[in-house]
Amino acid sequence: MSASLKPSSLEEPHLPGETGVWVFILGDMLMFALLFSVFVYYRSEDVPLFSHSQTTLNQTLGAFNTLLMLSSSWFVALAIHSARKNLGNISARFFSLAFLCGLGFVVVKFFEYREKIIAGFTITTNDFYMYYFMLTGIHLVHVVIGMGVLAFLIMTSRNPNLEDSHVNVLESGASFWHMVDILWIVLFALFYLLR
Amino acid sequence: MPPPSAGFGAAEIASIYQENNLSIRSGALLMMASAGLMCPFLAAIAMQMRAIEGRHGVLTITQISAGTVSVVAFVFATVAWTAAAFRPERSGDLTQLLNDIGWIYFLMTFTTFVVQDFAVGFAILGDKNEHPVFPRWLGYFNLWVGVTFMPAALLTYFKTGPFAWNGLFVWWIPLVVFFSWYATMFVYIRGNILRQSAASQAT
Repeated sequence: MSASLKPSSLEEPHLPGETGVWVFILGDMLMFALLFSVFVYYRSEDVPLFSHSQTTLNQTLGAFNTLLMLSSSWFVALAIHSARKNLGNISARFFSLAFLCGLGFVVVKFFEYREKIIAGFTITTNDFYMYYFMLTGIHLVHVVIGMGVLAFLIMTSRNPNLEDSHVNVLESGASFWHMVDILWIVLFALFYLLR
Repeated sequence: MPPPSAGFGAAEIASIYQENNLSIRSGALLMMASAGLMCPFLAAIAMQMRAIEGRHGVLTITQISAGTVSVVAFVFATVAWTAAAFRPERSGDLTQLLNDIGWIYFLMTFTTFVVQDFAVGFAILGDKNEHPVFPRWLGYFNLWVGVTFMPAALLTYFKTGPFAWNGLFVWWIPLVVFFSWYATMFVYIRGNILRQSAASQAT
């Protein structure tokens, strides 16, 4: 595994991080695939209700959160790039920026939930809002866990002498964060955009 | 099995307990008799974790205490169902209440199982031994099992649908994942024990 991490062989196909972390990532994505399928199934049972409820969502906040997620993934990719060049300090700075994006996501989500609840939309309002709160809530838990992972990566990357094994750890954590990002992209499309 | 819908009225629940009275009592008795058998398994996991962590194992203790809470919840759920079936002639409202308590004890308490899985997962990933006790993917597998059990606690909000206690994310997925977790851990622990006893005989 570590041999394939040498910069000279980076051009070759290479599974980022350690193999085991993909057991978690693929398992978790399977779980979300089921959640998405259930949502799409119940939506197909009552399209008018879901379409109408969708118009009451705040698309601006949703789009802003998408922007935050995409930026955070970009920062994580830059951080990995720096770490491979053994630039630990720069890497840690990029991970910190990604962490701040994650924090921003949580804050925006808090105000979005607050706005909805004040307007009288809760999990008991209808099926659309039930799935909205449940799925985005489960995703939000992943964001918070991911921020914990990013905090760990910040500490790991602050090492003047990054070895292959360190880069491997960083890649594992980064892969998890990219999963959190991609799940939000699907959620955003399903809840805010799907017509 | 599967659980009666949380959306059923008191009369429907009462009639389930009246019509299947003997099988519910016997099933509960079987559950009660087997509840304690979870303990040796917890101890076996703990011994393997101690091989990772050494004597000062916070995660080892976390695993065994969180696992013990699950056993207690299992026992209490069985008590509630037995009490419901014990006097089937009583008011349907009371039977429904006991049925509710039983299922909530049984499924909402997966939250402690989440902690148990995380403890096992982090211990495996933190293994610094030259020859790790468990393969690293098993650590990630444990973390994943913990995450799949998180939605179970959402049953508090629902009487029907995929998040109700007879729904996909509270009943079916945890059921399948729990047994695959149990089987996987059993296979690896058994392999470890056989290897360790062979190694201790060789010396």
